[in-house]
Order: sequence, then C-alpha cells, then structure tokens
Amino acid sequence: MSRFRINPVKVTFYVIAAIFLILLPYYVSQYTVTTFIRIIYFGFLSLSMGFLIGQGGMISLTQTAFFGLSGYIIGIFGVERGLMFPWPDLMAIGAVAIMAFLFGMIAMGTHRIVFLMITLAFGQVCWAFAAQNTTILRGWSGIRGIRPFVIYGINFNEYQNFYWASLILFALGIFILWRISKSPFGLALNGIRENPRRMAAIGYPVYWIRVVAFLIAAVYAGLGGILAAYNTGIIMPTTIQLSRTIWVLLTVILGGASFFFGPIVGTFVAVWLDVLISGVTERYNLVLGVVFLIIVLFSPTGIIGIFDQMRNDKKFNSIINFFSPKKEKPNS
Amino acid sequence: MTKKLYLIVAIVLVSSMLMSACGVPAVAPAPAEPVAEQAAPAVAEPAPAEPAAVAEAGKIKIGMISAFTGLFSGFGEMQKQGAVLALEEANYMAGGKQIVLIMEDDQLDNEQAITKSKKLVEQDKIDILTGMVSGDEGLAVADYMKDKNIPVIPMYSASEDITMREFHPMIVRTTWTGAQSMDVFGYWLAKEKGWKKIYQIGEDYSFPWNQSGGFMRGFCRGGGEEVFSVWSPPGSTSDFSSMIASIPLDEGYDAVLYNGGGGDAVNFVKQFVELGYDKKITLIGQSNTFEKPDLDALPVDIIGSYSPHHTADDLNTPEWNAFKEAFNKRWGRNPSAASEFAYSSMRVILRAIDAVNGDVSDKAALVDAMLKVDMTDDPRGPVSLDPTFHSAIENVYIREVAKAEDGTLYNKGIWTVKNVSQFGPYDPETYLKQPIDGNTYPPQKCSDFPPVMLDAENVYEFVEFGK
Repeated sequence: MSRFRINPVKVTFYVIAAIFLILLPYYVSQYTVTTFIRIIYFGFLSLSMGFLIGQGGMISLTQTAFFGLSGYIIGIFGVERGLMFPWPDLMAIGAVAIMAFLFGMIAMGTHRIVFLMITLAFGQVCWAFAAQNTTILRGWSGIRGIRPFVIYGINFNEYQNFYWASLILFALGIFILWRISKSPFGLALNGIRENPRRMAAIGYPVYWIRVVAFLIAAVYAGLGGILAAYNTGIIMPTTIQLSRTIWVLLTVILGGASFFFGPIVGTFVAVWLDVLISGVTERYNLVLGVVFLIIVLFSPTGIIGIFDQMRNDKKFNSIINFFSPKKEKPNS
Repeated sequence: MTKKLYLIVAIVLVSSMLMSACGVPAVAPAPAEPVAEQAAPAVAEPAPAEPAAVAEAGKIKIGMISAFTGLFSGFGEMQKQGAVLALEEANYMAGGKQIVLIMEDDQLDNEQAITKSKKLVEQDKIDILTGMVSGDEGLAVADYMKDKNIPVIPMYSASEDITMREFHPMIVRTTWTGAQSMDVFGYWLAKEKGWKKIYQIGEDYSFPWNQSGGFMRGFCRGGGEEVFSVWSPPGSTSDFSSMIASIPLDEGYDAVLYNGGGGDAVNFVKQFVELGYDKKITLIGQSNTFEKPDLDALPVDIIGSYSPHHTADDLNTPEWNAFKEAFNKRWGRNPSAASEFAYSSMRVILRAIDAVNGDVSDKAALVDAMLKVDMTDDPRGPVSLDPTFHSAIENVYIREVAKAEDGTLYNKGIWTVKNVSQFGPYDPETYLKQPIDGNTYPPQKCSDFPPVMLDAENVYEFVEFGK
C-alpha cells in the first residue's frame, strides 16, 4: 500500500522539473541547451562512477575508459566504416559490456586500494593505447567528423532534437538505475559495500554481484560516451586522460557520493561553474578546487549532504514548514 | 521525509534556470518569438535574426580560442599579446564599428576547443573566429565550423589539411603550414650542406607529422638518403634520456632533428645537452623547437643549431623594427613568430572589416575582402594569399641560434627564400594525390619515394639573409 502512496510535494517537484527540462529549448539560448547536453553526458559518466562508489563501495578509475571506448567505436564504425544507425551504437554498447565483463572478472578479485590501483592501471593503459595507436585510433589527433544521424525524418543534428533524445535517454537511465539500486540486487550490493565477508557467509555470490554491478556501471559510462562523441564530433585521447577521471571523481564527491542523485548534482554544479567562470578567468580548475574544498569542509557528504544537514536543523525546518502544505505524518 | 529536500532542490533548480535565462539578455525580452520559430518542424538554416541583432548592437565580435594553459601555453600567451597589440593599434575600431575580442582557453584539448567554439558561436554570437595554436586544435575547430557560415582564421595552427584536403571557403589562413618552411629547410640541408642521413625524434601528432613530411620531401629532393624517425606522444614524458641514449652515433647520421615544440622541446634540448650529446652530434630543430619564449629556457650550448621559420629575430626591415618596438613597449619582451602571426592575422581581419565598411553580415564578402587585403607591409615580409586555398605565400628564413650582446639567445637569419607556397615546388594536383603526412608516410628511405615527388623543378632561390 505504502508503495503506491502519492506524495503531492514529490509529484509537484517531478512535474515542475520535467516541464522545465522538456521546454528548455524554448526559453533559453542555444548555448544553455548545449550546456545541458554536456551535463547529461557527463551525468551518465559520473552516475556510473557514483553508482559504484555509493552503492557498491568500489572506487573505479576505469569508467572514463569505457566512456572513451564507446566514442571510439562510434568514430571507427560510424565515420570511417560508414555504418548506419543503430549499428555503431549497438556495437559501442556491446564492446563496452564485453570489455567491462572481462575486466570486471579480473578486477573483482581485489578490494579497496588494490582495486583502485588496478582500475587506474587499466584506465591508463587504455589512454596510452589511444594516444600511441595512430593506425586505427588516429593517435593524438583522434577521429573527427562524428555527426548524429537522421532517424525516421528526425534530424538529430538539430540541437533541440538531440537534447530531447539525450534527455529521454537520461531520464530512462536514471529511472532504471534507481530501480536497480532499490531492488534485491541493489540491496545485496549495499550489503557487500558494508561487509563483503558477512554477505559471502550468508550465501550471496559476492564476486558475481560485483561483476554485474561493474558491468551495469560501464554501460552507463558507454551511453554517456556515445552522446559525448555525437555532441562534440570528435574522440581523442584527452577524453579519457587521468585528469578527466579525477574531474569526474570530484563531481561525484562534490554532489555527494552516498546519495543516488549526488553525482548528477555534482556534474550540474561543476559544468555550470566551468561555463560561468571560463569567460572571466583561465584558472577554472583553481576555482573549482576552492569550491570543492569549501563544500567538503562544511559537508563531507557533498552538496546534497548540506541539504540533508539542513533537514535536521530546527530553525531551517520551521522556514520550510511554513512554505510546504501541512500534512499528517506518514506511518513509516 | 525527503519532501523538504525535494522542495529545496526545486527552488535551486528554478532559480538556476532563471539565472541562466537572465544571462542571455538577447533572448529574454522576447520569449514568444523563438517559441513560434522553433515549433515549426526543423528549420535547417541558422536563426536569421543573428546578423540583425549584431548590427543593432553596432559591435563586431571576434572570438579567439587558444591554449593559454597547458603544454603550449607559451605560444598561446604570445599569440594573445600579438592579437591584442593589433587591436589596440586600431583602437578597437574597424569599419566605423567597435570591435569586441572574446577570448577562451581550451587547455590544448580539442574537445574543449569544440566546446568553447560552441560557446562563442551559440552564446556570444561571434562574427569571426580566430586563434588556435596546435595543428589538431585547428583541424577540430575547422571541422566543427564547417556549416556555421562564420569566417575561421587559424593563427598558429599549421596542419596543412586545414587549407588543403579539409578546406572550406570560410577558412582564411594568413600564416603557414607545417610543411611550408620545412620543405625549404630539408632541401637546403641536403643540397647546400650535403647531408645524407637524419635521425628524427618527433612528437606524435599532426603538426610534427606535417613538418616531418615537408622536411623529408625537401631533403630527398635535394639528394638526401634517409630520415629515420622515432615518435612519442606530446607531453607524455619529461624524461627523454632513454630516447637520447638510443641515438646511434656510429651509423653516419649527420644530425638529430628534434621535431617538437613547447615544454617538450625545452625538456628534450636540456637533457640532450646535459647528456653531452651536443658535443657528439649536431642538433637541428623544427620551426618551434628554438622559438621564443621557450628559447630563453634553453642552454647556450645549442648556439649554431639550425631551424626554419617565416620570421627571424634579427630581421632588419622598417616593418619588423616598428612591430618589434611596439611589441616591446606594450609587453616588455621581444616578439616571437606566434605573436607576429597573431598580429598579422588580426590586422588582416581589421583591414577586411574596414574594406566592407563594417558590414559583416555577408560573410562571403568578408572572406573575399580578407583575400584582397594588401599584406606587403607585413612585419615578417611581404605575404600574399592563394585565392584557391586561402593560404599564405611568403618568405621562409633559415636561421641559426645565436647569442646576443646581452647574453640572451635569438634566432639569427642566414638565408631567405622568397614566395614559398604551401605546396612548395609541387603542382597542387600532384601534391594532393599523395597520402596525408603521418608517422608512417612519407617513407623513411628516399629510394621509396614516389618519383613524381622527387623530380619537381626547383623554384627555391636562396638569397643571403638581409639582402
């Protein structure tokens, strides 16, 4: 019963957010929409990393490699071989899934710092390979000229169409990942995060649950990579370099790694900071670093953590209660 | 329980939307119009309101993308100073309109370069795009700008394909290509110095490939035998000792060509000298290796190293001296090739705007005006533009590193070759039939060259520098 209970505030929030996001191209400039597209594809990437950190307790530095892998597949098969939609895209997701499965089988034997190191190593190997292979991956120059397709008469080169497509994909992606994290599988993953040995003792296949979680996360990174490749029109080694990985990790922690929506909020803030600051100063990374420091100092659980703290604050609650409609306390 | 959280997030979301909407005043006052316009199915052409809005504002916006941070920040900085100097000399006015320069840093990341181009095109609604330091940066931006109907003027970015195989009519490059100066250099080393074998260590991306391609063509045409090449990705290492140690000293190589620039060149050349190789084998460089400002960081032991470029620090023409003095006065340092190229490109832009009387709404006419600009008074020597490929025909100087009276190093000109085109001595059709320069083409042995690339008629006339 409680599962289908309708919370009016929650519903209003979702409806307002959905209307805002869907109608976005009508009332903001083209560049704002482009920025939202960036938030969406980096959102996929940080969601991928945040899911592993928040739900599974695994800090993986390989996610950017999957992000780049799908972009490279799109570049190789879409541009250079000239395959039509949906083949390059399906191949990209397929390649990411296979890679993630194989690598997951190797990496999931390890925990904590060793896991971090092995994923870092794999990410760096991918980067070095992309930078040095000039015959297929075009080395440092990367593959240029990636363009979205025209599907059923809808031209995805139009930024509005591309935005809506990305938005639908992102909303679906968030919903599915949300359901996964609340499913028995997700709960088992949470259990493994807290205590893998105990979970193994209870009888859960700890190793395989982690492999599958890794695979799911990789597919999300791959989806982001596809959108990124279409949007920027280029795929090159700097896409998967270590500084990008660190940036994504930073956005995850900035938003709040332990919250499901933390990575998305973090990406939103980091990308907008970039947009607003880049015109003023070249020291974007410095400003981002300072903002990061301040937020982590005041709230170790990130931006969402700040709201979480406010929720427990009496004075603040009285202000909020003033605005929100009175409702009987739900029986929890 | 989480409803308050949602409420707060909703408030933040709404306020951020409002903020972002307010950030673009051009759109905010008339929300009804864009809705009507975009609701119509797929309007293919860019919003026609743009030029009108710009004309109303009475300002002409020039966007400039460059790597102000990262591996080539030295070139980016020099480029910025040159461009700003040209604008200040014109008092930020051209064709009776005020000029606004909007600069964006791309951190030498092509993806960032495209993101920033998008920002300049979509948000700032620029009329002209310029800048770009590295070869790949220029190729990426040119690719993105293909259907934007905005003139693109690459400054220091020298991959030849921007004005060759990937040329589109909105591109005007008043500067150079990688092969342009190196072809002359290679020919000179083989023909005049009689060198036969070169050992090349290069950065593995499009600009050094293009420089290497030009060098090999010139070297082999002049009678050389082999250019052996080793490649490593730019910025991937700061320790070149193993690469230097594997240079064979007993296999008859006449010189080591370091084909890289910026921070990599500083590291390589320093370690080359530290390991004592400067006493064992001659070091020569590509156009950027000994360029300012990085030259200031290099050891004095490299005096006498040759490199080619389209500028030389001791040019003694009235135009160069005037430019050098103005640059020194404004920025307190001597200009480099990057600053001269930026200065000259920006001057072409300003003069073209003057020529069309400040009406930049017709971009094709603006590009035509740029091609017709008189560049005979350019600081680096007379420049003319090829009407087919919109690329520069200009002087090449062969230079050697020398020590000035105050102890600083500079590039002293020794030979001048006039009117060199981006195709060198070749006929454009023949040239374009060849594969794109890469790290496996041209072949390392001159005997593997296609004959048509070896028997081009010599058009280079070496004039003593300053004559």
